[in-house]
Amino acid sequence: MATESVPTAPELLAYVTDLRADADRMDGYARRLRGAAGTLDGCAGTPGWSGAALERQAAACATAAARLRAAAAALLAHAGRRPPR
Amino acid sequence: MAAHRHADGPPAAEALRACARDVVDVAEGIREVSARTSSVLFAPALTAAARRHPRTGCAARWALLRALTDKQGLGGSAVVAPDGMGRLLGAAGQLLGRQSLAALVAVTSLRLRIAALLLDHPEFAHDPGMRRLTDAVGADDEAAVRALRALFEDPDAQRALCGLAPVLTELLTVRGLLAEDPGDDEAAWALAAGHGLTAGPGNGIGPSRPRARDRTEQAPQAVEPTAREARGLAAEGSLLGFLRNIDALSADGRLLVQEVRGPDGVLRYVVQAPGTAPGRPRDDCAQDFAGAWRNLFMADSPYTRAVLKAVRDHGIPRGADLALIGHGEGGIALLNLARDDEFCRAYRVTHVVAVGAPLDGGRPADPRTWVAGVTNRHDIVPVLDGRGTGTAGTPHPNRYEVDYTGPTREFPLCHLLSGYLEHLETVIPQARVDIDRALTPYRGRVERSRVYRLGDRARPPEGHPFLTVPTTGLVTSVGPVDVPVRYYDSSAVHLCYPVDPDVARTLLPDVAWLVPTRFGRRALAVLSLYEHRCTTLGPYTELALSVPVDDLWRPHARDIAADLLRRADLRRTGRYVVSLAVGSREARAVAEEVWAQPAVEASADVRVEGRELRARAPDMGLAVEGRPGPGVRCPEADWVLYGRRGDSTVRTLVRARGQPHAHARPRVRLRLDGAQGPLARQLQILELDAVRPAFALTNARFMAHRSAGTALPR
Repeated sequence: MATESVPTAPELLAYVTDLRADADRMDGYARRLRGAAGTLDGCAGTPGWSGAALERQAAACATAAARLRAAAAALLAHAGRRPPR
Repeated sequence: MAAHRHADGPPAAEALRACARDVVDVAEGIREVSARTSSVLFAPALTAAARRHPRTGCAARWALLRALTDKQGLGGSAVVAPDGMGRLLGAAGQLLGRQSLAALVAVTSLRLRIAALLLDHPEFAHDPGMRRLTDAVGADDEAAVRALRALFEDPDAQRALCGLAPVLTELLTVRGLLAEDPGDDEAAWALAAGHGLTAGPGNGIGPSRPRARDRTEQAPQAVEPTAREARGLAAEGSLLGFLRNIDALSADGRLLVQEVRGPDGVLRYVVQAPGTAPGRPRDDCAQDFAGAWRNLFMADSPYTRAVLKAVRDHGIPRGADLALIGHGEGGIALLNLARDDEFCRAYRVTHVVAVGAPLDGGRPADPRTWVAGVTNRHDIVPVLDGRGTGTAGTPHPNRYEVDYTGPTREFPLCHLLSGYLEHLETVIPQARVDIDRALTPYRGRVERSRVYRLGDRARPPEGHPFLTVPTTGLVTSVGPVDVPVRYYDSSAVHLCYPVDPDVARTLLPDVAWLVPTRFGRRALAVLSLYEHRCTTLGPYTELALSVPVDDLWRPHARDIAADLLRRADLRRTGRYVVSLAVGSREARAVAEEVWAQPAVEASADVRVEGRELRARAPDMGLAVEGRPGPGVRCPEADWVLYGRRGDSTVRTLVRARGQPHAHARPRVRLRLDGAQGPLARQLQILELDAVRPAFALTNARFMAHRSAGTALPR
C-alpha cells in the first residue's frame, strides 16, 4: 500500500524492526531475571526480598516487551503498512 | 537486607555474585533499549512523517511514549534524551517519583552484591560507607532509588563511599543510571559493564605528550625521606625489600624510584607505588567517589600520569630496563602504565608485580613484559570488577598469578601490605621464591633511591588547615607513629554522670594530687564513645571512662570554670583516663605507650550519627542505647587528658574542630551484661548502669589531633 510517506518509509520500517528486536530482548531479560530468582531460590542465606524483586522486574520486562510490540505495530501502520495479524 | 532464607543448597555468596553480574547486564540492556526507543520517538524521520499524516503519526508517537513511560514497563523516567522535550519528559518522570526499570534492576544488582559481600565479610557491615549504603537500599525498590540518588549527591558521603571497593562496580552502574544527564556517566557504565577504559593506541600517555590538564592534576615532588626511613629502605633488590619500601612510605602516598646495579653490572630502575590503606587519610582524597575510581581504572588516570611524571623527573634514560612494583591502587596504576604503547616504546618494562590489585585480562603493550599478581582470596579490593581474582597457574609464560587463601579474613586487614608481606614469608613462600627468581636482573645493590610525594596542587591537603600541623615520629611496639595523631573523620558522644567523689577517687591512682574535680557535692564520670572513621592510625572505635581532676599542683575550686574559658594548652585541669577500650592493636599501643592510658583491645560497634545513639561491645558485655534528644550548639570541646606512667602524670592535648551539641538529661541508658574487662567493671563500680547521664555532648562529625603525651613530674 504505497502512500505519500514513501521517502521516509524505509527508515520507519528500520525502526519497526529495531523495536521488535528490542521487544524480544526484553522478553529475554525477563527470562534471565526469572532464572536468577530461580537460582537464588535454592540457596541458603539468600535475602528474602530477592525472589519477589526479581519476579516483579521480570514482569515489568515482559510488559515493556508488549508495549514495544504495540509501538512497532503503530509505527508500521504509520509507515503505510498494515500491522501483521 | 534483613530477612534471609534458610534453605539447603549451594553456598549463597557465589550464587549471589553471579546473579548480581547477570542482573547488572540486564540493567544495562534495558537502559540501551530505553535509549533506542527514545531515539525513535524523537527521530526527525518520524517527526516529518507525523506532520504529513498526523493521525497515524500521533498514534505511533503515543504508543512509543507509552512504552517508555509505563510504570509497569520501562518506567516513568525511561525517556533518555540529552536535551529538549526528551530530557524534560525524563525529568518529569523522576519528579513524579517514577523510576526507570533499568535503575530499579541495577539497584537490585547492587543489593545482591551487598548481600554476597556481607555473607563473606560480615565485618564490612560496620564500615561507615556500607552502613549508609545499606540504609539507602534497605527500603523498597523505588525508595531505594531515591535514597541512593540523595546519597550520591551528598558531599559528606563521598569519603565513605570511596571505601566501598567491593561493591564499586554496582555503585558506578547505579550512579550512571541515576545521573540526570545520561552522558555524565558513560565511563562509569563502561567500567561497570566490564568494558574497561583504555587510552587506546591513538590516545597514549607516553612521555612526549604533555596535556593541558598537567597544570592542575597530581604532580609528584621529590622529597627527602626521614633519616629513619632512609635507613629502612632496602639496600639490595628483592621482592620483600621492594614491598617493605612501599609499606614504609605508603602512609602519606609517596612512591619510590630505586636504581639497582644487577648481577650483570647493568643499571636498572625499580618504580615502587603504594596503594591506600582504608580508613587512613590521603592527600589525593577524591571529592567524588565515582570520579576517583573511574580515574583510577583509566589508563590515563591522574595516578598513572603522576607515576609517569616521577619516572620522567628521575631522569631514567630512554630504553632503560624498568620493573614496576605496586600494591593496591599503586598496582593498578602500574599495570595501566605497562599497557601504554608509548611508555613501553620509551622504556623497556621488563617486570610488573601487583600485590592486592586486580590483574584483569589486559595485556602489557610489550609482550615480553613479565607480569605477576599476588592476591589474597579474602581481599576484596582485587575483586573490584566483580569478576573475581585471577586463577592460580594460568598457563602463560609471561604471566604469574597467585591467588591464595590467607589466614586473615577480616577486611581491611586482609588488604594491608603488611599482611601480604607476612604471607609471602609464611603462607606462600614459593611465590616469593618464584618472583624473586624472575626479578634476578634487579637483585643487586641499590645505588640510588629517590622518594616522590603524590600530591594534588589543585586541592589543599585533607583536613587543611586544621590538620596540616608539624609532626614527628615516635617509635612504638607496632612501629613508628606520627604525632600528633590526626583524626580526619570521627564521631563522638560524651555521657557525663554525677558520681560519688569518694568512689571516683578509688578509680584514680593512689597519689595525693590526683583529686576528682567537684561539681557541688558530686564528682563527674565521663563515658566517651568514639567512632574514628579515618585517622593516621587507621579506623577504630574507642570507649573511654574518664574523671575530671583538679590542677595537680595548686587546686582551686574555680579552676574548672576558669578552664572552660581557656585554650586547652593553658588549662590546669583535665580528664584522667581511667580505662580505655580501643578497636585496633595500633590504637592500643599508642594509647599505652604514647599517652600512658590503660587500654585493652576490644571490638565495638559505635553509631553516633543520627538521632539514635548506639554502642555495643559484646566482648565486654556493654551496650549504650537511646536518644540524646534536642541539643544546643556549644563551643569546641578541646580536652586535656591525663594518664599515668611510673611516677609521672602524662598530659595529652586534644584539639577538636566540629559542631558539638550539649544535651540535658539525654534518654540514653548504659547496660552491663556480664561486665567483662576493666572498663565494664569500673562502670559497674560507679553504678552508671543504674542512672541516666546528667548531660551529654555529641559531635556527629569532627576532626581532631592528639599531641604526644608530656610527662609531668608528679
